[in-house]
Amino acid sequence: MTEVDGTRYRGTFLKAGVRFPYCKGCGHQHITRAIDNALVKLQLDPSHVNITSDIGCVGLVDALFDNVHSLHTTHGRSTAFATGVELADSILADSALKNVVVIGDGGAMIGLLHLVNAAQLNVDLAVVLYDNFLFGMTGGQNSSFSPLDFVTATTPYGNIIPPIDLITLLQGANAGFLARKTATDADLSDTIAEAIAYPGFALVEVLELCTEYATRGNSIRGNKLAEVMPGKILELGVISRKGDRLDFGSAYKKRFETVKKEVVQEPDGIAPRYGNGIVDKTRIIIAGTAGERVQSSAYMLVEAAVLSGANATQKNDNPVTQGTGFSLSEVVLSREEIFYTGIETPEVVIVVSEDGLTELNSQRVFQSANEKTLFIIDESLQTPVCKGSVLREPLRKRFTPSGAAFAGIVLASKMRDILPKEAFIDIARRQKRSKDLLSIAGQVYADK
Amino acid sequence: MIAEGAVEAGCRFFAGYPITPASGIYKFMIDKLPRRGDVAISSPDEISALAFCVGASLRGFKSMTATSGPGFSLMTETLQYAVMTETPVVVALVQRLGPSTGGATQGGQGDVLFVGHSIAGGYTIPVFSPSTPLEAYELTIHAFNVAEKLRTPVVLLADKEVAMTSENVDYERLCKTEMIDRKYFSQKDGTFKTYSFSSGNEVPDFACLGGMERVTATGSAHDKAGRLQKNSPETIEVLKHLQEKIDSHAEEIARVEIDLGEGADILVLSYGVSARTSREAVSSLRKDGKKVSFLNVKTLFPIPKISLIDAASEVKRVVVVEENMTGLYRSQIKSLFADKEVVGVNGVGRMIGPDEIQVAAAVENQRVRR
Repeated sequence: MTEVDGTRYRGTFLKAGVRFPYCKGCGHQHITRAIDNALVKLQLDPSHVNITSDIGCVGLVDALFDNVHSLHTTHGRSTAFATGVELADSILADSALKNVVVIGDGGAMIGLLHLVNAAQLNVDLAVVLYDNFLFGMTGGQNSSFSPLDFVTATTPYGNIIPPIDLITLLQGANAGFLARKTATDADLSDTIAEAIAYPGFALVEVLELCTEYATRGNSIRGNKLAEVMPGKILELGVISRKGDRLDFGSAYKKRFETVKKEVVQEPDGIAPRYGNGIVDKTRIIIAGTAGERVQSSAYMLVEAAVLSGANATQKNDNPVTQGTGFSLSEVVLSREEIFYTGIETPEVVIVVSEDGLTELNSQRVFQSANEKTLFIIDESLQTPVCKGSVLREPLRKRFTPSGAAFAGIVLASKMRDILPKEAFIDIARRQKRSKDLLSIAGQVYADK
Repeated sequence: MIAEGAVEAGCRFFAGYPITPASGIYKFMIDKLPRRGDVAISSPDEISALAFCVGASLRGFKSMTATSGPGFSLMTETLQYAVMTETPVVVALVQRLGPSTGGATQGGQGDVLFVGHSIAGGYTIPVFSPSTPLEAYELTIHAFNVAEKLRTPVVLLADKEVAMTSENVDYERLCKTEMIDRKYFSQKDGTFKTYSFSSGNEVPDFACLGGMERVTATGSAHDKAGRLQKNSPETIEVLKHLQEKIDSHAEEIARVEIDLGEGADILVLSYGVSARTSREAVSSLRKDGKKVSFLNVKTLFPIPKISLIDAASEVKRVVVVEENMTGLYRSQIKSLFADKEVVGVNGVGRMIGPDEIQVAAAVENQRVRR
């Protein structure tokens, strides 16, 4: 906390001669004065205070203050914007800024996620909830905080839904500091000061009555505000004050302080060192089953191609659930720069499992082939009807299911003279399972 | 490459929410930024993601998020807030097939008008569309530069095919680009107002939340000091200024790749993934002896009108290639080519092939193809 600059300090953070825009008797004025008193009490430098306001009558609060920063936001989002400011301030800057969020009961519900998230993260914010049980600025409609039987513009026969207990809800999100007060409590500013000073997420729900809309048709009065929940009296005062959690910014910095020191090995680029046998654009489809190294094998083909001075693109496809069903890669190799990455007619199709075969059938790949297409199909699979030459090989049996795709690729390259053996050997050496891959490449090239 | 460009551009704050096909950017930033002492954080939804970024930018740091169509829908509220509060921020939108959740792993260029017209009141936000990894890198840096210089949100409109295709990239071909930072207010310039400008096309000097100047940021209609106002002359002036500052820089931020063919009577115009295919089609057409020009529109909005008109000045037909149903961008630029035949090559749920473009460019009196 920064010591106050005596020349700027006037004993209040409110504008000189401030006129509150609120109806007579409205609790908003009490709460706003309590925030001011809390700031004075904490002796904060005004340039280190940011008041983020929400929408509704509470949205006018920030403009009543002088010299502090203010951020007037969209409905319910105040907490999210302030979270962004605070994350940047605490991690990227000097963490000197105190962020106070003022929000109404309408905003608290539309932006409930942001409150829950900020509480869960333990972002260093102080949220003051102006809870007057309804939407005042738009004509007194009921809110999620309206008491049972409450008469509002939109519950003319009385509200049939009990109000939400935000504080209990935020306890479930592991909130650090939670308090519930009423607008006329003499010690309200002390509680708000404690919330602002608390190093982490703090929320003070302040109960009040909208003098314009709440007092009409309702018997509830200002001194009975804690009795809005059916069957129980709401707890007032500081309800939770945790001392065992770091605020998010501190926790983040602490974690990455150690990580930062680790040396990260950036992946090396691949410089061409071999030639290749590619004449025209060569389009290769590899199909198999998820988890059987189809896409990673295709990526090795791409790397081998780049190592051999070719250009290469790779597109993968699999069911949205990722870990099951078919797995498919489309690789295009060319001497020229590749712009169009689609495959109308493939030069090579490698199928290593039933899942892959089914998917290629549904994509009508076999119909799209021409006489020049080379099919390499695992011998366990039925041979589809198609143009082109078909080679049936015991890839799964001989090289295991997870080696089948790589074996098929190397075999295709060998048969069609696409890439040199050395390129596959070099790339295989870089892999974790290099022993298996080198053995596969060796066997394929040893075959007649 | 978008993520690498962002880091190079000085992005120090990233908030992400997972969504195919944009999750790769999120993952890259989570791996990269914290090690540099910067922030990469998971947000609980897309509304929060962009709100975090706007907050961080107002605190003074270059910020970015990445999403796809469904997430962008949720972000439009905050995008408008960024326009109104003149907050620099970059949103990478990797398009998928729409509407709604559409096809997560299918490509598309269907968000063009949704993005270009996402701001109530008809305000323009700059929209850039890369077609290759190199363009993705360069346009991301450009997007940050424009966001900073004009204090505006910028959308980087990629698509699934461009973002999720792996390909070799020659790093030596990456252009060295100048990095631009927002202009900060200096006390010798007089009294600070959050949104101060003397003529409408000027960009107000920035001061950050937490600094010595008192910042009054608001998403509601306001005067130059950031005070809530209804219809005051100064407020109207501010509202007009928000568009003027973009319009007046339209040519400066325009990026187009023009490849004019000598004596060409056909112009193939495209962007994003379709520009790649178009380039291939144009090269085939030229091999066949056809005289064709090619235009890759990298700045979609504000529409680079002068470049577009110039590129088409000699041709009789403009073929607009894009992967959506009705020719979304074509509808925006058609009026620029009043004396020409404008035809579209469109596709939905599939990549457009080079053959279709060649046919559209070659056949006389070609009707609009769907």
